Amino acid sequence: MATGTASSEVFENLRLELRRGCLIVAVLAQLRIEQYGYTLRKALADDGLEIDEGTLYPLLRRLETQGLLASQWREEEKRNKRFYRLSPAGEQILGQLLDEWQRINTSLDKILQEVQG
Amino acid sequence: MELLDCYLKAVKRYLPRRQRDDIIAELSVELRSQIEDKQVELGRGLTDVEQMAIFKKQGDPMSVAMRYRRTGRSLSVGWELIGPELFPAYLLLLSCNLVIAVIVIAVFLMLAHTPFTLQAFLIPMFMEVVIVTLVFILLNFLRGFLGRKLSHSWMWPPAELAHLLPLPRWYSATGFIASGLLTLWWLLIPHFPRLVLGSAAPEVKLAPAWHQYYVPVLLALAIGTGQRAVNVIRPDWNWLLPMARFVADCGGAVVMFFFRTHALVLPANPSRAQTEQLAQAVNGRLIWGLFGPWLWLYLGITGLVYGWYCLPYLRRLVRRHHNTVHEAGEVNGIVWKRES
Repeated sequence: MATGTASSEVFENLRLELRRGCLIVAVLAQLRIEQYGYTLRKALADDGLEIDEGTLYPLLRRLETQGLLASQWREEEKRNKRFYRLSPAGEQILGQLLDEWQRINTSLDKILQEVQG
Repeated sequence: MELLDCYLKAVKRYLPRRQRDDIIAELSVELRSQIEDKQVELGRGLTDVEQMAIFKKQGDPMSVAMRYRRTGRSLSVGWELIGPELFPAYLLLLSCNLVIAVIVIAVFLMLAHTPFTLQAFLIPMFMEVVIVTLVFILLNFLRGFLGRKLSHSWMWPPAELAHLLPLPRWYSATGFIASGLLTLWWLLIPHFPRLVLGSAAPEVKLAPAWHQYYVPVLLALAIGTGQRAVNVIRPDWNWLLPMARFVADCGGAVVMFFFRTHALVLPANPSRAQTEQLAQAVNGRLIWGLFGPWLWLYLGITGLVYGWYCLPYLRRLVRRHHNTVHEAGEVNGIVWKRES
């Protein structure tokens, strides 16, 4: 029982670590179209990537500080909302990250095929 | 004040000053959107409990704010004692405690007509730093075992929302054990004076003042222990915690204030000069141990905190005498109401 709990905890930690980098790519990719936090979160969830508010908003701020996102307060449906979109620097970084993602994916496929073969 | 405003106000308290308004405005849009979505889904307004469920999912205000403050700093001595997740909260609480400590000690010294010395401030403040650090080291250690369970507990809920949060059973149970041991110690003193007098017990005896103040102190301790026992069984009786502790702390402070003016120990054989000296030494040690600045510091901090937590309950009680139902309706045969 204790071993089961420990292994599920190990899995959970590894899963979170794996997701962390992927989420950044997903957020950057989603923000090629301008969105505000709530709709961005829903869009990610609809595509199967649930992200809680406590993670998303500090992440958006960090990405903006790094110059990868640009934001603007604007009124929509009688409410002021902060809209985010990918900055030119963000677009460049996203391209590089996607290339890296493809390389990792190809390598992993190759490794897995070798193991299975 | 709306529950959402209370929640946002509580988060705002812990946010970095420069970004405060911006973060709160954004968080407000997110939470309002969630509430509206839920209202559309249910076809009615949300009750306080349902709104609280949304805030609970978000997390306790301090943890929410700390995510924006995360700097990666931690307390490590070879191995990690307080991790980066808890470190900002540790710094914040330690600073608040030290400020309160200075105020309480200064007030105590003035009331007791005692001169202000550096020692009077430094020793309790050093103890404060040690205690807060140890508590956070323990919390950091427990995070490994309790993991999510601990992270979902609201450690320091805002007073305005406390009535919607059942008390965690582990909190009441651990408090019951600690408070129970203290009460048991007090109960055993008349039978085993050695518990107070130590190795001097054969030479000295407890002074008559103990008879006068024994029961009132026991009562204050019993209130605290009883409250914790009740909350283990009824975690939803969250009002009991601030009310009982406020009464126990204030009552305890008054009793201890007068108790300290009496001699606590008398020589068993007054004709012997040595015993007289020993009694004086034990008396001094006991007065420092039982009524030292740490006691007034503890009673001052907890009295202020619990008094603050009592206020929303009292406000709600007063409001209940007026028309309380703000909004009401019936959906699919289920009657709902929302209090203002």
